Amino acid sequence: MKAGGLSVTLIESPDIKIIGVGEGTWPTMRASLEGMGVSETALFRECDAAFKQGGKFAGWTTGAADDAYYHPLMLPQGFSQLNLVPHWMQEARSRSFCDFVTPQGKLCDDGLAPKLITSPEYRALANYSYHLDAGKFAPFLATHCTQKLGVRHVLADVVQVNQSESGDIESVLTPQAGEISGDLFIDCSGFSALLIGKTLGIGFKDCGDILFCDTALAAQVPYATPDEPMASQTLSTAQEAGWIWDICLPTRRGVGYVYSSRHSSEEAARETLQRYIGPQHRDLPARKIPIRSGHRQTFWKNNCIAVGLAGGFLEPLESSAIVLVELSAKLIAEQLPANREIMDIVARRFNDVTMYRWGRIIDFLKLHYVLTRRTDTAFWRENVDPASIPERLQELLKLWKYHPPWFFDEFDRLEEVFPAASYQYVLYGMGFESEARPQDTIDTELLAARLRQENERQTFELRSRLPRNRELLNKIYEYGLQPV
Amino acid sequence: MTQIVPLNKTTHRSLKVDGRSSAAYGDNRRFVQVIVKEFPQLLVHYPILFSKDPKTGQFYCGAMLGFDEDENLFLEEWADRDVYRPLMLQRGPFYANGPDLAIDLDDPRVGVEGGKTLFTDQGEPTRYLQSIIWAFQDLSPGVEMTKLFIERLLELKLIEPVDVEVECDDGTIRRCIGLYTINQDELMRLPDAAVVELFRRGYLRLIHHMIASLKQVQVMARKKNSRLLKATEALARTHAPAAIG
Repeated sequence: MKAGGLSVTLIESPDIKIIGVGEGTWPTMRASLEGMGVSETALFRECDAAFKQGGKFAGWTTGAADDAYYHPLMLPQGFSQLNLVPHWMQEARSRSFCDFVTPQGKLCDDGLAPKLITSPEYRALANYSYHLDAGKFAPFLATHCTQKLGVRHVLADVVQVNQSESGDIESVLTPQAGEISGDLFIDCSGFSALLIGKTLGIGFKDCGDILFCDTALAAQVPYATPDEPMASQTLSTAQEAGWIWDICLPTRRGVGYVYSSRHSSEEAARETLQRYIGPQHRDLPARKIPIRSGHRQTFWKNNCIAVGLAGGFLEPLESSAIVLVELSAKLIAEQLPANREIMDIVARRFNDVTMYRWGRIIDFLKLHYVLTRRTDTAFWRENVDPASIPERLQELLKLWKYHPPWFFDEFDRLEEVFPAASYQYVLYGMGFESEARPQDTIDTELLAARLRQENERQTFELRSRLPRNRELLNKIYEYGLQPV
Repeated sequence: MTQIVPLNKTTHRSLKVDGRSSAAYGDNRRFVQVIVKEFPQLLVHYPILFSKDPKTGQFYCGAMLGFDEDENLFLEEWADRDVYRPLMLQRGPFYANGPDLAIDLDDPRVGVEGGKTLFTDQGEPTRYLQSIIWAFQDLSPGVEMTKLFIERLLELKLIEPVDVEVECDDGTIRRCIGLYTINQDELMRLPDAAVVELFRRGYLRLIHHMIASLKQVQVMARKKNSRLLKATEALARTHAPAAIG
């Protein structure tokens, strides 16, 4: 970026392919792209992007045929004014928590889009993010950054890293573009962690003892007809030794089995995936991707910051990978040190925040497993073993029995990756028992009734106004979304 | 419910069309599409704004005619006085058919007793039909020109949403949503080159027409209020006790 005398150079190996299975994003992506000046219409047209309105988790609680709940992207009605959980527990416990507090589950059931063709770019009637083709998204962003933002893009392989006596990285050597020097290096070298790991020797904190899944089998499933209805929720269906993701892009579905190789052989996993996809796609290839759950012990060392897979990776249960890249990039941009002298101070703060975020994401992913009542396989039984549950999460579970999570408590960090609402959706979607005391609700009954009415009104209105996902996408291809 | 056929001087020789606007013809609409060429005539009567086509999301220019759904505050004026009526309403049941005209025979304006004929006995267009032909000579290219105007404004970020809100004398508030106008802050910030370009293209004049026309909202509000008043008075008369002699 040329602004403010800053120049950004991206060095990308011409030979190393991108992983390319990341298809889910978090609503932060809208602000990120808008802030970069990307046209949302172009995103839809060029990246096979589709709307994502949340996750639907099937078979996670009991494994029964009707066992499913939503983790939508909209906050519960009046979330900053009132915690509706105690009211739901007293009035409507037998009903879905999600439907009690937000229209979004119904919108997903109906296959409706989160906005209208008259809604401006990035504006929503129902909160949303994207499902997209990562293989198209990366070059799309590269083009935007080089053409509009002045980023220099060098196709070259880094074969040597030169350090000063203090350990700072001074330059990297490439056979194709010679020596490239810089003041600050961002390690985006993926799993190889070339700078942060191999050069600066920062270790990896494995969390396979908490999150057992260590392998993914990814397939692309064609639609029977090009106008087959599309869902805007990521469907995650629990299996014997993990779970299967199912994501609708306009051109195909992305389906993959994330499993624990300790609990399933590859052969059995392939069979499970095949059974899920169905017999009409007998010979669909499924690419095997190893997942090493965990993260660096430090993310910013000397003048090097690890972002993306170089920083770590977790199973893609809640699309946390790309959101962490966004949050890290934002933090770097906002806190960019003015000189080398103060860099270590900024680095320490960056490390604190980033470490906290990884910890919370691990807790949140584990939450999906610890609430299960499934005992059918060792995978599910071992997941509820307290030895595999982080202490902090154990403590929270104890607390939540009497104090349902809400806006103010516990989650006090700037830009919590998963807001307290997300915890509510998972906890009460999976039948977690909290105690409702009369004093929690007595003073707020009127407000609760009003919010409940508002939810019903909004649900009715949105269901009658919103178009179907594919219908809106086709209109966007034809007419585009307006900037205002 | 439409039956659009090419206009033909033989088959349609005796056809009569009511060229006036009326609620019975569906002209009781609060917003009607307009083209840039009309702006000078429009701005002395109507607020000129942008809105979006609900089917495509694309912007178009329109004149505001009322506040409530199905409310056109100008219907009576059009009947009584010679107030400029937007071309899209003047066109009546006619459509462009390439360079020629077509007519919707199912339109309620068609075949009205006391309507105007389209052709003279010699098969020449009557004055009424001639006015329609002229309207289309403006309309067909005008829609395209207006589109280009809007595209340029969008590129320069000169369009912004506007809340048209009017407090009526009966205490109710009319809030019209989905309307857009010129972003005057962005206009002031335009670089010189863009200002000159807008001026040369004739767009700057149109922009100022749109800004000036916003004053008509207040004029319309007064019209609306006097209607509400008349309605209340009429109601009071109906319910007034008989005078005691």
